[in-house]
Amino acid sequence: MAQRANPPKPRFVAVSPDDGTTIDLANPALAAFLSWLVPGLGQLYQGRWFKGTVFMVSLMATFLAGLWIGGGTVVYASWRPGDRRLEFIGQAGIGVAAIPSLVQAALVSGSAKQPLGYGWFAPPLLRGQEVSESYRQQVIASDPEIGPEDFAGMRFTPRQPGDQSSLWRRRLGRHFDFGTLYTTLAGLLNLLVIYDAWAGPLRHESGKDDGDASPTPGGSSKGR
Amino acid sequence: MSALCLAASLASPILATFADRVPGMFFGLPLLALASLIFAATHHEDPAAIGLATVHWTVWLGGILGVVLAVVLLLGTFS
Repeated sequence: MAQRANPPKPRFVAVSPDDGTTIDLANPALAAFLSWLVPGLGQLYQGRWFKGTVFMVSLMATFLAGLWIGGGTVVYASWRPGDRRLEFIGQAGIGVAAIPSLVQAALVSGSAKQPLGYGWFAPPLLRGQEVSESYRQQVIASDPEIGPEDFAGMRFTPRQPGDQSSLWRRRLGRHFDFGTLYTTLAGLLNLLVIYDAWAGPLRHESGKDDGDASPTPGGSSKGR
Repeated sequence: MSALCLAASLASPILATFADRVPGMFFGLPLLALASLIFAATHHEDPAAIGLATVHWTVWLGGILGVVLAVVLLLGTFS
């Protein structure tokens, strides 16, 4: 009895809009996930070294610059009444920032009442929020504007109006906004990078592309 | 050389005034470059084509944003 030969695995390819050569997309879903996790990592996995390096260096540098400008306070996840961090939707375009932020938010709001490590990517304390003793000491030691008198027991009750994010904004001024802008824009631009890892370069349907007079090849850009 | 120094000395107070009027501009320039680079690199595969398209996108985005900025400044000045 003749055995049926295994059907060949489908190959996912895209067509370069510059010279018409094919681009092996390997496993597009995995590449897209990797590019979400770290910008450009999916392209590196596909062997597209130049673009992968360009994406990784430029987007990570912008994201880290934003973190630095914002004093390390601008990336956090919070959906609590009075502190809805809509900018996180954009920042979550970069997975290495989104995952720790979500973990820290869950830990601070959960039974642990304290984030991991030094509290990076942790949401700010809200007025009346309960924290653990070790996190209380950590906040007092790390935030120059918060002292022991800003806590009633384990509850955060700052003397100044507002909550911890108000203190951050007062201290950092417009740098808080610029840091937020840098990190958010880096996350949003990474959505294009994720699409590039998934389906190859974007094309103009008109057949003419930016800055390049060479015609875009017709037909589908992705053969499956 | 001296002409260059003279031009620089004349231009620097103007630039400083402009930067003072528009403090966010210098924070925005790297973002303009980043957006241009990402737009270009997601539309091309060849490094040379990416370089050309980056310049192309920078001129377009910078031009559009520059016009918007100029209009806002003019409105702010005359209002």
